[in-house]
Amino acid sequence: MPLLLAGTFLLTPPVAIGQEAPPAGAVALQDSVPATGSPEPGTRADQRDAELDALTAEIAARLRCLVCRGQSVAESSSQLAREMQAEIRARLGRGESPAEIVDFFVESYGEWILLRPPPRGVNLLVYILPAAAFLLGLAGIWWWLRSRRSAPPAGAPTAPANSAPDDGLDPEDRAWLEAAIREGR
Amino acid sequence: MRKAIRWALPLAAVPPLALLGFGLTRDVKTLPSALVGAPAPEFRLEDMYDASDSLSLVEHRGRVVVLNYWASWCAPCIVEHPELVRLRADYDADDLTLLGVLYQDAPERGREFMRRHGGEWPSVVDYGSRTAIRYGVYGVPETFLISPEGTVVYKLVGPLDPRTAPVFRARIDSLLAVRAAGGSGVEVLESADGSTP
Repeated sequence: MPLLLAGTFLLTPPVAIGQEAPPAGAVALQDSVPATGSPEPGTRADQRDAELDALTAEIAARLRCLVCRGQSVAESSSQLAREMQAEIRARLGRGESPAEIVDFFVESYGEWILLRPPPRGVNLLVYILPAAAFLLGLAGIWWWLRSRRSAPPAGAPTAPANSAPDDGLDPEDRAWLEAAIREGR
Repeated sequence: MRKAIRWALPLAAVPPLALLGFGLTRDVKTLPSALVGAPAPEFRLEDMYDASDSLSLVEHRGRVVVLNYWASWCAPCIVEHPELVRLRADYDADDLTLLGVLYQDAPERGREFMRRHGGEWPSVVDYGSRTAIRYGVYGVPETFLISPEGTVVYKLVGPLDPRTAPVFRARIDSLLAVRAAGGSGVEVLESADGSTP
């Protein structure tokens, strides 16, 4: 399983060699998202802002940060992630649904951008392999326990080869029966 | 049963190892691009040299467009710059448009970069990286090759350098040949050698 995780990690393309992410403290850029202002707490606009923020965070949490490892767009503080959040918010403000916004990012970056890829095609492996490995492990444990129970405990005295079988016969009856078989009676 | 189990454990290690091997053999420069083969997203952005003016992609329809995302703070952009200068010099402006898109940078810094390193081609400023996001840009430099009909036919991640330039130029030449023959960029896509990133 750790190998599977390592393999999955390696499939995550980092920022390509020869490319650069912006330096920390890169020039602050004018944001193209319309300013929403800071309405008084409790106003309808404030409530709408809070709803948009929550939805933005929800959608951003489903998208992979493109310039970092193991972080969603919601978690990352990189400039591109912040710009993607601004894009999400602007689109929500224009009335687009979360599904439409996710589709927009998938159109631009492919399904790779989704932290939970849809379970179809090759993606199915991601969902099936862990379950299959778990079931295989369970089967292995079951088999091991079963074979352990049926095997005689180590060091236990084994029955002598010429001892009488445990068939409930008295030694006397057994002697008579064996003699009768021998004599063909 | 015992025999089967003896085989099952090593066999269970095969899929993760195969996945690991696949990951190790992947070239990190060939990042996935959902846009190759799709229409290039249209845009109209502020001219880096004149904030009162803007440039759009559609103005260049009918020509091969090399769309280069770059920034003044990006070291690989300095590496690729001479290659872009040569590219601009080698192709007629009626055949090929070289258009820069300044990414996460201020126009004055972009202008200073061009003054220092030379080269004359237009650049636009992508405030908020909105166009970059539509193009699926991860970082800079990234260069898109767009057919005269407006289809993205190739995406180069990383600098255009002596190693990558021949492939890139070959694609440009194919597009121009197809255009001269009256065909479309889709033919170039289909005749690609399968190395489309």
